Amino acid sequence: MAELREPIYLEEKLKEIQGTGRLSYRSKSLPTWCPGCGYFSMTEGVTSALNQLGLAHKDVVIVSGIGCASRFPFFMDTYGFHTLHGRTLPVATGIKLANDKLTVIVVGGDGDGFAIGGGHIPHAARRNVDITYLLFDNGVYGLTKGQVSPTSVMGFKTKTSPYENRDAPLKPLMMLLSYGASWVGQAYAGQPHQLTDLIVQAIAHRGFSYLHILSPCVTFDKTSMTYQNLNLAVRDLPANHDPSDMIAAMTQAMDVTTPALGVLYREERPTLNDTMDEITRAAGGKPSTERAAVA
Amino acid sequence: MSDTDIQIAICGSAGDGTIAAGSILNQAMARAGYKVIAFDVYPAEIRGFGECIACSRITSAQVFSLKGQSDVLVSLNDGHAIAHVPEVRDYGAVIYDDAPISTLKEGQHISAHIKPAQLPYGLPMRELSERATSAAKSRNMVALGYLAGLYGMPRKAFHETITGKFKGKAAAIAEGNVQAFDAGYAEGEAAFRLDFIELGPAPETSSDAVMMNGNTAIVEGCMEAGLETFFGYPITPATTILEMLAARLPKQGGRVLQTEDEIAAIGAAIGAGYTGARAATATSGPGLALMTEMLGLGVMAEVPVVIFVSQRGGPSTGMPTKTEQSDLNLAVFGGSGDAKRIVLAPTNVEGCYRCAGRAFELAEQYQTPVIVLLDLYLSNRLESVSGLGKTRFAPNLSKGLDAWAPNEAYQRFAITDDWVSPRAIPGEPGGIHTVTGLEHNQLGRPKDTPEIHQLMTEKRHQKVAPAIRHADLSTYKRFGDEGEVDVGLIAWGSTFGEALEAMLQARSEGIRCAAMKVVMLSPLPVDAIRSFCADCREVLVPELNYQGQFANLLTGATGCEVHRFNRVTGRPMQVEDILGEIRRLAKVIKTERRFVAA
Amino acid sequence: MAAPAHHVIIGNGVAGNHAAWVLRARAPDDRITIITIGALLFYDRYQLPQVFRGKHDWRAYLVHPPSYYEQNRIAVRRKCRVTHVDAERRVLTLAHREEVKYDTLLIASGGGGYLPANLIEYRPLFHSFNTFRAAMATARALPEEGTVIMLGGDILGIDVAYNLVDTGHRVLLVPHEQSFWPHKVDPSERPQLFEALSGAGIEVVDEAPVERIEAGENGAPARRVVLADGRELTGDVIMPFYGLAPALEFIARSGVDIERGLLVNPELKSTDAHIWAAGDVCQIWSADENAYRFYYGWKNVKAMGELAARNMTGSEQPFQTFIDETLTVDRAGRLHSSFWDYD
Repeated sequence: MAELREPIYLEEKLKEIQGTGRLSYRSKSLPTWCPGCGYFSMTEGVTSALNQLGLAHKDVVIVSGIGCASRFPFFMDTYGFHTLHGRTLPVATGIKLANDKLTVIVVGGDGDGFAIGGGHIPHAARRNVDITYLLFDNGVYGLTKGQVSPTSVMGFKTKTSPYENRDAPLKPLMMLLSYGASWVGQAYAGQPHQLTDLIVQAIAHRGFSYLHILSPCVTFDKTSMTYQNLNLAVRDLPANHDPSDMIAAMTQAMDVTTPALGVLYREERPTLNDTMDEITRAAGGKPSTERAAVA
Repeated sequence: MSDTDIQIAICGSAGDGTIAAGSILNQAMARAGYKVIAFDVYPAEIRGFGECIACSRITSAQVFSLKGQSDVLVSLNDGHAIAHVPEVRDYGAVIYDDAPISTLKEGQHISAHIKPAQLPYGLPMRELSERATSAAKSRNMVALGYLAGLYGMPRKAFHETITGKFKGKAAAIAEGNVQAFDAGYAEGEAAFRLDFIELGPAPETSSDAVMMNGNTAIVEGCMEAGLETFFGYPITPATTILEMLAARLPKQGGRVLQTEDEIAAIGAAIGAGYTGARAATATSGPGLALMTEMLGLGVMAEVPVVIFVSQRGGPSTGMPTKTEQSDLNLAVFGGSGDAKRIVLAPTNVEGCYRCAGRAFELAEQYQTPVIVLLDLYLSNRLESVSGLGKTRFAPNLSKGLDAWAPNEAYQRFAITDDWVSPRAIPGEPGGIHTVTGLEHNQLGRPKDTPEIHQLMTEKRHQKVAPAIRHADLSTYKRFGDEGEVDVGLIAWGSTFGEALEAMLQARSEGIRCAAMKVVMLSPLPVDAIRSFCADCREVLVPELNYQGQFANLLTGATGCEVHRFNRVTGRPMQVEDILGEIRRLAKVIKTERRFVAA
Repeated sequence: MAAPAHHVIIGNGVAGNHAAWVLRARAPDDRITIITIGALLFYDRYQLPQVFRGKHDWRAYLVHPPSYYEQNRIAVRRKCRVTHVDAERRVLTLAHREEVKYDTLLIASGGGGYLPANLIEYRPLFHSFNTFRAAMATARALPEEGTVIMLGGDILGIDVAYNLVDTGHRVLLVPHEQSFWPHKVDPSERPQLFEALSGAGIEVVDEAPVERIEAGENGAPARRVVLADGRELTGDVIMPFYGLAPALEFIARSGVDIERGLLVNPELKSTDAHIWAAGDVCQIWSADENAYRFYYGWKNVKAMGELAARNMTGSEQPFQTFIDETLTVDRAGRLHSSFWDYD
């Protein structure tokens, strides 16, 4: 039997939220996601994170691809670039490389990232581009109304897999670990506080941060990756998990039946912009890590 | 009057130092004050003994192409050079090694193939090289020296060039090469000359001219324009742009990244352009094909970016080491939808420099992608260029946030009277906005109503229309006879060089002739082209593609009828071929006139 | 149908070229190659004295333009020196180590200027006149109204001497027993011939052996000839004309019989079945004289070349000369040699 919890009073909650200031990061546009979509938690998480980190609106660029995440930049009061399907990471790399002072956050889904975009992920990760990649895994193509995706589970029936999906799904966490990402974490839209906390950590990390967010598609997946199923399946990482231990991280990443939530792996190493400065010095030039914004 | 016009082809096998000899010849003569145009042919294979040709045309007056026939052929390897003997004109010279080390069957020595009207000059290249440097390796220097001595080329300029080339290596190496050169020079000087090739005095006593090819000129333009970020993916013939910038751009604090593919390259360049940085990429036809989706994004999001495209034989993988002009359609129209962008096509090496720099200005000014379209021939053609640094490019032509009224909510895509919106860049307060590939309203919010799409499409097209009237860049130019002419040529890219020479020759034969180069292909200077066509009885459009892509563009935009002259040989257009066509048209006109008069 | 034969001709003079033209007419499909150490196509050597009249463009001396050789498919391998002829394998080797196979070979390499033994060391100080290059070098070394010291004075030299005088130069002729070669002149006739020369302005010095030759420097005359009796002659250029000697080093090891020239039968065939000879290089068996003998002069040489070509392609005709080998003095007092006649 579900526990009865304290009633939450809307007005008080609203005041509380307004008090934090995180709503200022929201634009006037209303989101177009389906009610119950994990992107709402994500929005909450990102606004909280930006607020907690005290980042100026003008210094944040949110880059989205094509998918349900596309519209995210429009809902935020920051600079944004809604790019092409699968091409968020190159654009984000270009933005960060051209202006070190910007905080670049990339949002996209599993199709955008691992189907068409799969070829770009290894390079953003191995170069340690100092951006944050929030990857929403709902195991389906939502915007185009329900096709199978690279992370769909076996047996999943969709419009393009009417005889059940027979392709083994990718294991994104293992891939990102092997690509050399310097921060790899996993979160769940059904646990919004933890999600927010992990988003803060991901953005704060200096280097390429990959946060894999399990986020059910309430409209097109009623059987497989649902809140019901995931609520039972997810677990936190063991308390003694050492995020600097790659083997331990891989071991946790391999477990897709009971996904582990938290920071799987973390290391500090020079970012792409750092190496660019090193190259500039090696060439005898002066690093222009300052790029003055037009007054 | 002694007008110099000597074209020398040095032909050898990979490893013979053919290209190096050509390079020294070019630089020395440029240094001595002559005008030089050169083109090298490399073997297609990486290893092996493929054929190399270094071809140089040395003149006192400015010319615009290489001649169909050379005046001199220097053979460093008869096996390869024999096939090129027919390319030497009558009463031209063939220089070869007359003391090979192994027995040859009949016909294996080049002397068997020298035509009755050609003059043979043999010297013991290998022997002289071994005497000078105890190795046969400097045969190329011996041959070069012989050539120089034969025609009285300025020895000092060669010594300086050779020494400069080996600066940083052991002194003995430079000395050995100079000695080998001198040994050849002495032989050449003493040789009894039977050809009628004369080297006249240089137009200038000496010069700071440097030999540069199109790709290098592009890089110079980028450096001068303050390029900040460059992203590229290796592809022939654009790879050297990436390589040169990788070495040079960091010296002035810029950043170069070799991406995982062309899509990433253009994506990153657009990302960088979005932040207000000057950004570019370089590729060839196949890469541009991959980039077209991103191009559309750049157009739709009104982000400045520059793409250098060096065309090669197509379609598909095509002919990576051969030249062609068949990507015009792709450059001007490639990508989904009405994606209007600016396309520039320089016609010579200096033009590459100017178009490169201006491209950044145009991209910023009109907030749109700019493609600079050249071809393999122009990328690799060397020309003596001087005074590059005199052209300055504006550091920032962006209409910025300061043009926006401060108390109004910022609209990134506001409609203004010149259709260009004030542009905020990330990091600027008061300019927050999101750009998107979706159709959008003035705020930049996705919107697909009929009125919005009509309005925004018009904006994206109209804003670039004034580009044809650039104050500092010739988007088109007319040469030759003024007023009404019988035959008018319209050409673009490197083919314009051959067209110009053909026109000048036609005029000297009494044909009323003019030529127009079109440098801006999009937007197209329609009025100028129309009025040029009105002056011409017949219009001839030579280009290196089969479908007549430029002719189609012209006729589509102006309605003018043109004669097409299409070649897809993988080689540059020949002046003789264009001239033949001009003569043919002139004859037709003459006949018509006589008929009408009668 | 036999495969096309390869006819190779060594020598690019009157004999070799006339042979080539006849060969082409008689064997339209055969290959014809002329091999020569010279750099030029066939030119009219008799015109070479024109260099003293300023005619310095070699193209004006050509007998046929280059297109002629292209159209008639006659390959002219210039600057190629034959170093060996392997008569057994029918392969000849060029100096640059190229081997050329032939079916028939015509030696028409002519002769070079003969120098008496005691003058060989002075070769670098002489100017010859047997090629365009030599003629040009002579013209360049000879100033206007300059002086030529001519040694010997064979019939080629006499022709040059006349041209030199006609163009305003001075000629000092040092006689020798080779004077008027190849004409056989009775000693009693020599004085009147020298007188005829003097009459034309050629200064004939008293005959004496040459002791030594010197080059002058720093303002001194360019050349000095010291005769055995102590007389000194000074001039700008020294030109030896002691007759011709056939050039035959390359054929030496081939096995064909050689005396002073290459020995051939009246059909111009050598002792090898595939090798013929024509022109100044060969000695033809004369039954009348019971000896091998040379024939000189353009008309003879042309006839030999054409005959050799015919015999190389199936004929078997003997050589016949129609030249009267006399040296005469015409009414104007000028010498006339039948060897100077040409069409």
